[in-house]
Amino acid sequence: MREGFGDLEWLARTRAEGDVEAWLALMPYARRIGISALPDPQSEGLLFRLEPCEGNVGNVLLPALHGGVVAAFMETAATLDLMLATRTPRLPRIVDISIDYLRTARVTPTLARCSLLREGRRMGNVRVCAWQEREAVPVATARLHFVLGDPAEGGA
Amino acid sequence: MTHDQTPSNADWRRALTRFVTVIPHTRELGLEVLEVAPALTTMRLPWRDDLLGDTTRGLVHGGVLTMLLDTVCGSAVLPALPAPEVCPTLDLRVDHFRPGVAGQAIFAEARVIRITESVVFTEGTLWQETGRPLARGIGNFVRLGPRNTPEGFAEALFAEENGHA
Repeated sequence: MREGFGDLEWLARTRAEGDVEAWLALMPYARRIGISALPDPQSEGLLFRLEPCEGNVGNVLLPALHGGVVAAFMETAATLDLMLATRTPRLPRIVDISIDYLRTARVTPTLARCSLLREGRRMGNVRVCAWQEREAVPVATARLHFVLGDPAEGGA
Repeated sequence: MTHDQTPSNADWRRALTRFVTVIPHTRELGLEVLEVAPALTTMRLPWRDDLLGDTTRGLVHGGVLTMLLDTVCGSAVLPALPAPEVCPTLDLRVDHFRPGVAGQAIFAEARVIRITESVVFTEGTLWQETGRPLARGIGNFVRLGPRNTPEGFAEALFAEENGHA
């Protein structure tokens, strides 16, 4: 099999190297909306960043980012964070997402941090918090469930 | 449409087409409004390769589905209200039944379940093949009311009605 999420050797290697860029390279929509990952100065983990691209605007009057784009950003962050944080290489497949919109997301950079609240044998639960100016003033919070697939079996 | 008439379904289809065309994200993705009735709105997102979330397996990014449900549910709110109001998303829940696959348009429909003084409750569904839903969404939208709706919001939705050939 060519390199990709279904290739266990590739997945284990990119994961060991923390090569989130290699994962993002296989996610065209995540690239389209301008998602990147950076080291989290407060932990061993990652911070995620959404660029304030003109194409991400959902309300031209305010203006504000499209709430659905903010959700897509938070889902991508949760997926990538989970792929690094699990005990062994797993392939997450989203089951559900619930997002609360707390404030208008302005057309400025948006950051997100994730917490893996539970890693079970089959299911994972991730919480995501997204903010702009200050982390204490979140623009949205989300919680997601994922099936944790076994990459050796070609997925979930 | 003249000012003293209730908009027809065709007026609303043009108004929501304008709505999703003014929004940069949905304009760039080429989102189309197929049908609008007071209680049900249907849209179509044409296929393009940058909707993918996994190029090796050819699967649609789950976030595309959330974005689409937010858009279709939020649009369905407008024709269901007595007069158009700005209604931001309060919260959204999406259940993923099966992944979307490369190469096929994604259809979206949403209905308004209940309108209260302060909230509009909606539900939406997405599919590529009829009878095989990809995802279900439940979106609640806040009614900002006439006082917080910009002057001319309704007029802007129905603008250019008479200018088209």
